[in-house]
Amino acid sequence: MSNPKTEVPYGTLDLVILKTLDTMGAMHGYSMARRIEQVAGNLLRLSQGSIYPALIRLEQQRWIRTQWGISETNRRVKIYSLTAAGARQLRVEVENWERATALVNRFLEAKS
Amino acid sequence: MTPGLIVRRLLALLRSRRLDSELEDEMRAHLELAERDAMASGLSPTEARRAARQAFGSIERIREDHRDKRSVRWMETFVKDLRYGLLLLRRDPGFAFVAIAVMAIGIGANTAMFSLMDAALLKPLPFPEPERIVRVLEAPTPTRRNGLSTLNFEDWKRLSKSFEALAGLRGLSATLTGHGDPVRFDGVLVSADYFEVFGVKAALGRTFRPGEDQPGAGRVVVLSHAAWQTKFGGDPGILNRDIVLDGESHQVIGIVPRGSFGRDEATFWKPLVFAPDQRTRDYHWFGGVGRLRRGVTLEQARQELNALSAGLAPLQPEWKKDWRAGVDPFVDGLVNDSLRQSIFVTFGAVMMVLLIAAANIANLMLAKGVTRRQEMAIRAALGASRGRLVAQVLIESLILCLLGGAAGVALAYWLITAAVPLLSISLPQTAAVTLDGRVLAFAVVASVAVAMLVGTLPSLQLSSGRLTSVLNLATRGGSSSREGVRRTIVVAEVAVSLVLICGAVLMFKSLLKLQGVDAGVRLDRVITTSIDLPFLAYPDAERASRFIAEVAERVRAIPGVESAAVSTDVPLQGVRQGQGITVPGVTESQGTRFKRIDPNYFATLDIPVLVGRGFTDHDRVGAPRVAIVNETLARSLATKFKLSDPAQVVGRIVKTGNPMYENRGQSGAVTDIEIIGMIRNERVNDLEAPTPDVLYVPLLQSPRREIKLIVRTANEPTASMPSIREAVRQVDSSLPLGDVRTMEQVKRLNMSAKTEPAWIIGIFAAIAVLLAALGLYGVLSHAVNQRRREIGIRMALGAGAGDVLSYIMKNAAWMVLLGLAIGVAGALALTRVMRTLLFEVSAMDPLAFAVAAFAMTIVGLVAALVPASRASRVDPVKALRSEG
Repeated sequence: MSNPKTEVPYGTLDLVILKTLDTMGAMHGYSMARRIEQVAGNLLRLSQGSIYPALIRLEQQRWIRTQWGISETNRRVKIYSLTAAGARQLRVEVENWERATALVNRFLEAKS
Repeated sequence: MTPGLIVRRLLALLRSRRLDSELEDEMRAHLELAERDAMASGLSPTEARRAARQAFGSIERIREDHRDKRSVRWMETFVKDLRYGLLLLRRDPGFAFVAIAVMAIGIGANTAMFSLMDAALLKPLPFPEPERIVRVLEAPTPTRRNGLSTLNFEDWKRLSKSFEALAGLRGLSATLTGHGDPVRFDGVLVSADYFEVFGVKAALGRTFRPGEDQPGAGRVVVLSHAAWQTKFGGDPGILNRDIVLDGESHQVIGIVPRGSFGRDEATFWKPLVFAPDQRTRDYHWFGGVGRLRRGVTLEQARQELNALSAGLAPLQPEWKKDWRAGVDPFVDGLVNDSLRQSIFVTFGAVMMVLLIAAANIANLMLAKGVTRRQEMAIRAALGASRGRLVAQVLIESLILCLLGGAAGVALAYWLITAAVPLLSISLPQTAAVTLDGRVLAFAVVASVAVAMLVGTLPSLQLSSGRLTSVLNLATRGGSSSREGVRRTIVVAEVAVSLVLICGAVLMFKSLLKLQGVDAGVRLDRVITTSIDLPFLAYPDAERASRFIAEVAERVRAIPGVESAAVSTDVPLQGVRQGQGITVPGVTESQGTRFKRIDPNYFATLDIPVLVGRGFTDHDRVGAPRVAIVNETLARSLATKFKLSDPAQVVGRIVKTGNPMYENRGQSGAVTDIEIIGMIRNERVNDLEAPTPDVLYVPLLQSPRREIKLIVRTANEPTASMPSIREAVRQVDSSLPLGDVRTMEQVKRLNMSAKTEPAWIIGIFAAIAVLLAALGLYGVLSHAVNQRRREIGIRMALGAGAGDVLSYIMKNAAWMVLLGLAIGVAGALALTRVMRTLLFEVSAMDPLAFAVAAFAMTIVGLVAALVPASRASRVDPVKALRSEG
């Protein structure tokens, strides 16, 4: 194993998807997966397909909405975009994340 | 989870197929795009496809995950199992039909019986805070109850602080005229605050105002909803109408809502007004009901009224100075112990039928399970957990039982509409037997309980260890343990059925005994009816006497009439009035039933006068008072007179009150009365209890407005009814006749409390036996099918058809006998609860048990004969070849 990759940290796939949609605007599943891989560079090991179960859940939560569109290969695909509730949720999750990392950082930086 | 999310997830469940296909589309598009990009970066098409797949991950896992995330997992499998279960049922409609029909019988009987029990015993009375409603009566001893006297009632009402409302009531049978022929209209005379006691308000108009029960108030009536609908066609202008009751015009002031007193019956309420001459303490002529004040307990009310009674003692006649008040829960008067007992026992019986039905369904499912084992084993081998397989079996039984339960509710509805009107005479007036929410809830709970019971057995067989071994067996492999379970079920069915038959046989035997009891009166070719003379047209004894004599004479003149009598009471229907009589020198009075009869009564009913004479036309107003005693009273009086022979009381003189004509609330003067004869006992109340002390006095000496006509005819008595009606009409055309019953019908009515449970239990016992026989038949014919090969081998080795027949029959006999042994033990334990329902039959009657066991054996062996004879006709060659 030359380059150690990590799985998506537990519970953060939602955050990653919401953030991606926030930055990139509406997009379909494939380009979203590619975008996540791009941003993660070589650090992340993601099965691209695993975003779909996450997407249906976010949709049921009404944080994202879908529209039917046409892909570059001329197929019917779902185009996902952030809802207002989704944008609010993103802020909450970012805050939570920052609070959590800040907390963990304190412990890591603490001197004996 | 928010409610909205739950709804969306449940919706996802229903849209499962569409969501799946949408996901497929998306994944396909995704892979295409990935392939295209990979090719663009220089990979060959094959390499590009592999790379795209690899980056995507396991499609199957994504699918599963998608389903998991979007909905409730167990719900999804549940729906799947449900679909599969329904599919299986459609594939085997014969099995489905039998199982559902068996279940429908079990649930139908139970639901109908529960609705009856609910209405009669469980449901609270249909009044607000019914626990505050009490019955108030006078109490000669702490346990006995007697009607109220006017002045005591008024004093209690005025002085007590325990009651929010206290009302008197007395039944009244009136004649309604002005709508074609005069008709009888039964109602109740009640105090003005009667409706407050029950918390019933008028739906239309109003109920009585305070003071409307005082002398001089206007004549007003309140109608029940049913009366308004049936007697007055639901006339919306009814409140502006007057109706004529007993020749007097009454204003209808209100209609009470439908069902406000439970079962809706056509009736009316009219103020109970106390006339000045009714204001006495020694005549007990009406009942009382009260509503306790909030916070007052029954015991407090009792103590208060008893203290009041003690204080009023100096005002009472000498013989009732020790009387106190009886305050009892209203509900106690509606349901007596024997009714409660009958309902419990009958309900127990239908529960047993349900158990047998459940056993049958379990049996059917087990039999079917043999064919399903391979499927189950394969599924287990493919990784289905045992829990999943058990869940599937349970869901299948749930489908069966709920479908059966639904059919059962339909059956129960039919039973209730068809049978309950026949039973309602035995039920409390407030009991409205309906299929309401409570009853439906019961049906659902019972169905689900059966489903769990039925599903558990087959699913226990699904232990995974055993399942895998099934795969190794040939298709034929019926396992012996499964067979064992099925046999056990049949044995249990036989046992439970036997308990039921024992119960039914005991009931019928007791019924036969009761039927055989000598009523002491002639029953055939005697018809009875009643006439209530309105006070307005018959204000005094003289006019009533004239009417009675004239009607009797005209009826006797009808061709085909052998004899006709008039009395206050019909045999077997109780004696309305009671009187105390005193023997000179003895202070304690002798309580008697006080029956007034005309000179033809004994002759018409074939009651022999044992000593002395009967009444004659000369025993009338003005002549010396005379009385006749029955044997029981003669014995009681002989003790009082210290005579050795009861016959010697004839000729003695005792003292008793002479009730005035009409209930003017007075016992009338207590005077000497001579005993001129003794008759053989007639059954005045019922066939079971010993005949009470009865004092007979001439109707013409103490006439009464409510009278019965008893007519003996030469031929079929109902044929004479038109002429009898005509005879009455000729004397007074405004008088309707009451219920017409032959004496045989009177007897049947009298026995109905015993007949009805006997028939219900009998019918259910028969159903139970048939179900048990069905179970036995199923197990045996299955066994025969499974063992064709074995039987074939036996026959090939020289066993004859007779050997095979007896082999199978022995098998069956073994199951039946074991069931009988257990059943007899169960019956000995269980029939004891019906002891109080039986009449002169021991709950452990050996003959009844023998008959029951014999019947069960016969039915069982007949059920076994069919598969056994099929087995004996097995062709060994074919049997051996077919399953090589």
